[in-house]
Amino acid sequence: MLFSSITFLYYFLPLTAAIYFAVPKGFKNAVLLLASFVFYGWGEPKYVVLMGLSILSGYGFGLLVEKYRQKRAGKILCTCSVCMSLSFLLYFKYADFFIWNFNKATGMEIPLLRIALPIGISFYTFQIISYTVDVYRGEAAQRKLIHLAAYIAMFPQLIAGPIVRYSDIARQLADRKHSWEGIAYGVRRFVIGLAKKILIANQLGELCGIFRGSGEKSVLFYWIYGVSFALHIYFDFSGYSDMAIGLGRVFGFRFLENFNYPYISVSITEFWRRWHISLGTWFRDYVYIPMGGNRKGRIRQLFHILVVWMLTGFWHGAAWNFIFWGLYFAVLLTVEKIWLLKRLEKSRIFSHIYTLFLVMISFVIFNAEDLGQAFSDIAGLFGAGGIPLVSVEAVYYLRSFGIVLLAGGIGATPAVGSLFGKISGNPTGGRVLNLMEPVVLAGLLLVMTAYLVDGSFNPFLYFRF
Amino acid sequence: MGTEKKDHVLCILFALLFAGGFLLCLFWPKKTYSVSERRMLSTMPELSAESVWSGRFMSDFEDHAVDAFPFRDGLRQVKALTAAYVFGKRDNNNIYAADGFLSAMEYPMEEASLDRAAERFRYICGKYLTGENQVYLSVIPDKNCFLAKESGHLAMDYEDFERQMADKADFAQFISISDLLERDDYYKTDTHWRQERIMDVAEHLAHEMGTSLFGEYEPHILKKDFYGVYYGQAALPFASDELICLTGGDINDCQVYDWQNGREIPVYDTSILNPSTTDGGKAGRRDPYEVFLSGSLSIVTIKNPNAQTDRKLVMFRDSFGSSIAPLLTSGYAQIDLVDIRYIHPDLLWQFVDFEGCDVLFLYSTLVLNNSDTIK
Repeated sequence: MLFSSITFLYYFLPLTAAIYFAVPKGFKNAVLLLASFVFYGWGEPKYVVLMGLSILSGYGFGLLVEKYRQKRAGKILCTCSVCMSLSFLLYFKYADFFIWNFNKATGMEIPLLRIALPIGISFYTFQIISYTVDVYRGEAAQRKLIHLAAYIAMFPQLIAGPIVRYSDIARQLADRKHSWEGIAYGVRRFVIGLAKKILIANQLGELCGIFRGSGEKSVLFYWIYGVSFALHIYFDFSGYSDMAIGLGRVFGFRFLENFNYPYISVSITEFWRRWHISLGTWFRDYVYIPMGGNRKGRIRQLFHILVVWMLTGFWHGAAWNFIFWGLYFAVLLTVEKIWLLKRLEKSRIFSHIYTLFLVMISFVIFNAEDLGQAFSDIAGLFGAGGIPLVSVEAVYYLRSFGIVLLAGGIGATPAVGSLFGKISGNPTGGRVLNLMEPVVLAGLLLVMTAYLVDGSFNPFLYFRF
Repeated sequence: MGTEKKDHVLCILFALLFAGGFLLCLFWPKKTYSVSERRMLSTMPELSAESVWSGRFMSDFEDHAVDAFPFRDGLRQVKALTAAYVFGKRDNNNIYAADGFLSAMEYPMEEASLDRAAERFRYICGKYLTGENQVYLSVIPDKNCFLAKESGHLAMDYEDFERQMADKADFAQFISISDLLERDDYYKTDTHWRQERIMDVAEHLAHEMGTSLFGEYEPHILKKDFYGVYYGQAALPFASDELICLTGGDINDCQVYDWQNGREIPVYDTSILNPSTTDGGKAGRRDPYEVFLSGSLSIVTIKNPNAQTDRKLVMFRDSFGSSIAPLLTSGYAQIDLVDIRYIHPDLLWQFVDFEGCDVLFLYSTLVLNNSDTIK
């Protein structure tokens, strides 16, 4: 189930919230868990069983690791737990990638498994790993299965993050407060996230689809595509994180921020401190530092960076372009670390253009179907293949999506937030904003509902004549 | 309003909105057909262990929840207005408004589709026709041809379209009618041309095919508030058209036979405009343009008992043909209208006698550019 769906907004959410707030405190996690299973099973009911097994394994290993963590067995058990979680991920997400490459390398024809990817497996696998590793490092294991299951399966952050660490919400699982202020914040954050997803990301996604289907490519069209996809992925992903954080807050949880205006960064290093923060810190704390981080000399550190970023790319998808995407960042981050970072500090404008350009290129690689398409798209940005500079189609779609692109560009900066901050700082402005806020948010919900309702429109049906 | 009070208002407002939405979704009367969208709406899926386990129930329910959402048409209008006036989108679902007309942005020209259409036409000629048959081809430009340039929307090169079609279908004599048409010859809210404004096109076709048309026709208003197919697709507030047919002359005496359903039908089937008189409301689901020769039928034969000639015409056509065919009746004793989107050409020998007849392939650019619908 998607947050941006009628089923979620007008069936699942009201029902879940009503039951959640109606039951006594002791049952709230059980309600959340049940709702999360329904939410998860809605897309692929069979995989609820897989999630259940993952939870049970995480729960059992957590208790065992806690019991033996002072002994060698604790380390072995922790390793077993990590391996078991990763084995699910490897099988369901990467098996076909390995078989395909093995076939390519050996000329064999081992049939692909063609397993449907369980939704959110990349996220909840990392959460289970973080739980058992945190327990090994000294965190108390969760004795209540329902609490741990509610943490792992919690629907607000299940399918698109942020990757919530067990240590961050362990206390909240047992005892959390619900306040008008918290719920109002959650509602506001959820509606804003939904608007980012439906009003900006989806429209830019449509533009990217139009570009892909067009037979009339031009340099301008490639640039429109590059910029659109960079904005699309930001609004899509950060919109989902906003919704997750907002929903979490409604149910009394405080999840950490996952995006912090990454497109205002002046270096790739800064970009990755602002983009998908929960993933970056996860890899830092559970891969980079355990490998040795920067404690074993410069050469080893560069090797660690390479491994971490290759894994980061691979985590995003089982294809070579994702690995290449990760390595691309490894190279950029290494170059910045060794040489460029200090030079970038000299000119903010140049540094900003440099960062935006390289990030846009990275997302062109990210969104390609394969490496061949990635290179041809990058070449297209520079007019390779004799394509024209401008095409009628590109100009039309630039005009048609101009406002969405502009709104996306402005919305990706803190400009709107600081404007509201300034207005609310003024007593009269604050009162007006308070008055306007519920109306504007309700209006946004109406418009977004309208976009969702119109989503089932299918022009092809009209070719009846 | 203070921040604390605002938080209370916000929480209560959204609780009411979501709870109200939930209750409305549950109890709002469910429609099975959308008149504005011209399509069946998804119904509540069957709930069973098998449908849940396979995931079918959930995916079908998602469709149903969207289709059955209360105030669906109004919300689609909210979306269209937001897209047009807030985001400045130049088209909504590929439909745009310009100069008081709604049009689909048919673009780009799909050459492979033109090849396919020409190949299917060639197949028919090879299978059924001899040297005695005169074969003609004419292309009806869609409304976008007359609107896009001025309004800055994307449009095919229609001259090139005609040229390519004429070249690809070199077995037929090409009759160009695009110079006879202008945007006012089309309904403002619909795909089609207006029958009362295409008499000159009919006369030109007849002249080029070596026959003449006789008779005076009177315009007769069939429906004052005709909302065409683009109206539903665009979901923008728009004034309706008038649906007018031409009566009199030979048209009134023509006998029409629908081979698909084995029945006599009127030239203008006005019963579909009045759902209360029809079979279980099914007619209310039909497009008002289907008043012309009962709409999308595979084979229809029009016989003109008053014809001053024994010439016969077989017209391969799409829906545009339904409104022009009655205007050609005074030039022919019999016109067979064949829609090869609904019948395979191999079956035509059972219904159509091609001996000595003229053959006209009359198709709109909309169908030729999306010819995978042709069998």
